[in-house]
Amino acid sequence: MRPLLRAQLRSRPANGHVAYLPQIRKLVFEFCDKWPSSANTRTYILNHIQDVAKENPHVEVVVKQRNQKEPIVRGFYVNNRDKVIPLNSLEVNGIQKKVQLLLDSSGAKIVPLKRRAVESMTESTRGIWSGMHADRPIL
Amino acid sequence: MQHTSRRLVSTATKLNASNSISPSSLSFFPPKEALKPPADSFEKDAFLPTDWAAVQPTPSTALNAFAHRIGLASIFKDTDVIRQACTHESYLPLFRKHHPGKALPKTNKQLAALGNSLMGMFATEWVNGRYPHLPTRVMKSVVTAHVGPPTCESVAREMGASPLLRWHRTPASETEPPVLHADAMASIPRSLTALIYQERSLHVARKFVHAYFISRQVDLRSMLKFTNPKTTLIELTKKFGRETPKSRLLSETGRFSNSPVFVVGIYSGADKLGEGFGASLKMAEYRAAEDSLHRVYLTRRPDDMLQLPTSTFPTGLGDIFQKGPEADYTAPEPVPDSEVLYYSADRSARR
Repeated sequence: MRPLLRAQLRSRPANGHVAYLPQIRKLVFEFCDKWPSSANTRTYILNHIQDVAKENPHVEVVVKQRNQKEPIVRGFYVNNRDKVIPLNSLEVNGIQKKVQLLLDSSGAKIVPLKRRAVESMTESTRGIWSGMHADRPIL
Repeated sequence: MQHTSRRLVSTATKLNASNSISPSSLSFFPPKEALKPPADSFEKDAFLPTDWAAVQPTPSTALNAFAHRIGLASIFKDTDVIRQACTHESYLPLFRKHHPGKALPKTNKQLAALGNSLMGMFATEWVNGRYPHLPTRVMKSVVTAHVGPPTCESVAREMGASPLLRWHRTPASETEPPVLHADAMASIPRSLTALIYQERSLHVARKFVHAYFISRQVDLRSMLKFTNPKTTLIELTKKFGRETPKSRLLSETGRFSNSPVFVVGIYSGADKLGEGFGASLKMAEYRAAEDSLHRVYLTRRPDDMLQLPTSTFPTGLGDIFQKGPEADYTAPEPVPDSEVLYYSADRSARR
């Protein structure tokens, strides 16, 4: 019988069962001061970014210069991966949607499905569990 | 080959994660020490970019976001306290080398020791209360699985503390063990537990440990393995004053084929203790004995009946030495001693 080595004993994560840890750590907005492709990004940064930062206090929001290049937004996640989205062709509400996408993402790599997903018209009887919408403990 | 590439990838990600310097904290970039000295100068170029990056202070915005992410922003309003929790003592020699005159930063050594004791206590009382019949060595293994070093490192990583950690890889010396990334990361949740105990109370620290450690999934069944479950079961039934167990064949199929299935039940008098299946009679009987032992040792106390002894500490803010009102606690009924020492250990090498 193989021995049980105490130093290797570990538990498996259960994010959301009691407490939920959001997976996004940092959002970095990089834009150019002069080029017109960054115009919408500049408007977004002037008008909306502070509200986003207030509503998501667990995210560190950083604004950086990226001169003579297209504007981008980078999301850094807890699994040490990052997602980069270019903002040059988007309007302000498009930028809002992309920022929300980054905030909601887990940072995991997007992998194509292996088989056809189940398609059904009936709703699930017990609903769909979401760790993000569980009650957070107040300490 | 695959192992080597995986190791390099993990090292690279660790380096990347830890060395994100915020430009707002730098007045000059590149730093003066990074510039090459003239060829005829006495001092040789001893600048290491990775060391320089490791010595830069963590931005308080990152620490603040971390406090909000773990739900403790109301407790940790001052980010210096979190900075202390994320500073391992191995960082001090590196800091002293790069900033000879400056005051040394506070480390989390004492906090980690206090937090480790607290976490061990909370996990032990919970495991003992939830599984009252679990053998002692298995209980200790379950506690290690819940709050041991690998779990603490996992939890710290999942909280997003790896870019905030300040540490330095230290090889083993004659007196001290080596300091690896996992050891330094594991000190962070322990320090946080101790800080919560200091800033609020024991009950709040217990809630934190229950939320992030006790809620994690541990497979107990794989830890309960017996060298001779039949003999162990005989001893156990003697302790409970029951009749000697007798195994009976309940059903079978395909006895002389290449895939027989036998279902054996173990009875103590008229009560069935356990059931097992197998491809042979011996295998089925072994599994039935194991099943009977699992049914005893993995008996779980319902959550509404669970009473934790730490409820007897005062519920108000402050340390445990203050006087104050206590939560309700009724001692559970004494559980009959079900521990059988003969070969009933977990899968440890010791017998």
